[in-house]
Amino acid sequence: MGKELLFQTLRHEQAERTPWVPFAGVHAGKLVGYTAEEILKDEDKLLTALQEVNKIYTPDGMPVVFDLQIEAEVLGCELLWARDNPPSVRSHPLSGTKEIPGKIPTAEDGRLPMILRTMGRLKDTVGADTALYGLVCGPFTLASHLRGSDIFMDMATDQDYVRDLVGYCAKVCTAVTQMYIDAGMDVIAVVDPLVSQISPKHFTKMLHESFTAVFDHIRAAGVFSSFFVCGNATRQIEVMCRTGPDCISVDENVELKAAKEVTDRYNIAIGGNIPLTTTMLHGTQQDNMKCVLDILDVAGGKNLIVSPGCDMPYDVPIENTVAAAQAVRNPDSARKMLENYVAAEEEDIPVELPDYGHLDKVLVELFLLDPAQCAACTYMLAAMEDVYDEVKDIAEYCSYKYTVKKDIARIKKMGVANLPSMYINGKLAYSSIIPSRAELIASIRSAAQKG
Amino acid sequence: MKALQDIYQCVVDGEMDEVEGLIDEALSAGCTAKEILDDGLLAGMAEVGEQFKVGDMFVPEVLVAAKTMDIGMTKIKPMLQSGDIKEVGTVLFATVKGDLHDIGKKLVCMMLEGAGYKIIDLGVDVSPEAVCEGVKEYKPDLVGLSAMLTTTTLSMKETADALKQAGLYDSVRIMVGGAPVNQKIADEFGGHYSTNASTAVELANELMK
Repeated sequence: MGKELLFQTLRHEQAERTPWVPFAGVHAGKLVGYTAEEILKDEDKLLTALQEVNKIYTPDGMPVVFDLQIEAEVLGCELLWARDNPPSVRSHPLSGTKEIPGKIPTAEDGRLPMILRTMGRLKDTVGADTALYGLVCGPFTLASHLRGSDIFMDMATDQDYVRDLVGYCAKVCTAVTQMYIDAGMDVIAVVDPLVSQISPKHFTKMLHESFTAVFDHIRAAGVFSSFFVCGNATRQIEVMCRTGPDCISVDENVELKAAKEVTDRYNIAIGGNIPLTTTMLHGTQQDNMKCVLDILDVAGGKNLIVSPGCDMPYDVPIENTVAAAQAVRNPDSARKMLENYVAAEEEDIPVELPDYGHLDKVLVELFLLDPAQCAACTYMLAAMEDVYDEVKDIAEYCSYKYTVKKDIARIKKMGVANLPSMYINGKLAYSSIIPSRAELIASIRSAAQKG
Repeated sequence: MKALQDIYQCVVDGEMDEVEGLIDEALSAGCTAKEILDDGLLAGMAEVGEQFKVGDMFVPEVLVAAKTMDIGMTKIKPMLQSGDIKEVGTVLFATVKGDLHDIGKKLVCMMLEGAGYKIIDLGVDVSPEAVCEGVKEYKPDLVGLSAMLTTTTLSMKETADALKQAGLYDSVRIMVGGAPVNQKIADEFGGHYSTNASTAVELANELMK
């Protein structure tokens, strides 16, 4: 069970394989055609998107919401909403004052009721097998939302104020953490991207105490914790470890091997660090598989979780994440696929394609990674098998796999960019998206009429 | 000279309260305002840039160093002769449309200011049209565009396209930066990418040649 694998890793035990936690925040919306704003405001849309993430990406753990502005919004920051990004903070209520607020959010404030209900519903549907992450905005980043970029100057000129403000934000963080724990979250991730922008000395002087209090609270409540950071946090890893999280999650700016040597000294797990833009957003499926294999090669063994570097961009091709999932779940098979891919190029295997314009029956061709390991591939194959009885008089189908060298040659000759894909009479019909029974039958019938 | 070395160190350490006193001492010791500027304040800021680049300094230290340099500059400005301050070039900055992040851009502005550039900062969420207006008004040598979101990197290209349409593209060179940006993105519109605030100075100097 995937959840147990993740728990073993967070207990610092050797798990059977490395767990996989894709950070599909706003990207979850892409899977079902909703905008970022829709899934961050609408409970049903969010739940639908998350269930699709669970189905297609087969995670061992997954976040429910990746939005660091939830607490800030409750505390009076105005937000700028976007179609394909989380919102940004537009105004900073403490920008002209050094007052320390007193408000602590309750379960009735802002978007928290919607999020808490979604957490409960997702727990009921996928929570038995998948660990759920509740993400809270870290106290330093929350302080910057409230104060604006003046917080950096304050660190140099008024350390007591920063300590007090971050201390207040840690109380907010603890309150929200407790709500998420009560809603059934298995792991609380304290997400504080700005930590990479300050010196380890400043972290220790002004932030250590607050972060430690949050992680102590999470541990006392009996759930796991993770400390997410973004940017080049190489210098900060050690002081982050000293605050006592169960895991630290880093992005591609951190060299994973060196960082793991530090986290290993503290017996803390590390998560990371598939590059978000170059690999996930703009790379190929092969790039994503290779990246995961490289991560496993340099940092594999216990205390490792494979994840994207941070919140996945909305438009990451679904196929790239599917490929990454495949590589984590079955590295040997992925290694073989990459070898075959190179070999197929070198060997120049001859491929004869049918004359698609003159076929007796509609030809449905499925191009798959490894259906035994890739959930999206399994669903796509099952979708075709399911309708076959109904269309067998007018159509036939066959499948090609990335595990077979001559199939790769065919995939290349056809110009198939992403797997899994379904082609009807030589034309791309579905890529990663699994058609419903009715849709697929209609597509095949339509092709038969045209033929 | 020790007095100039003290000013240099004062900037590196961000000792805002001490820089004016140290400048007085340097002047009493016979240093010229130009020496204080070049060998004290600007040299100190250049060292800050180096330390930031290699990860020995972080955002708060850079900000406080820049503030220290500013205080020093204000003090010696009336004493400088015409020609003492050599403006290397003018850079117009903007965080592109749809993006509200400004810390990275502020750092780049400070570093470039410290390297002798005149800076015009149009702020955040700046439309392509506003950048065009800015270019018309200030006639900069360089345009610096910042984006922190993968989607707002598209606004960089839109801005470059708007400059082309307005016939202003060839009058400037475009520098870009921000977490999701890379050279490949910059190549799409003939932009020039730097990985951080410190290398932005090197890039700007290169583009000004």
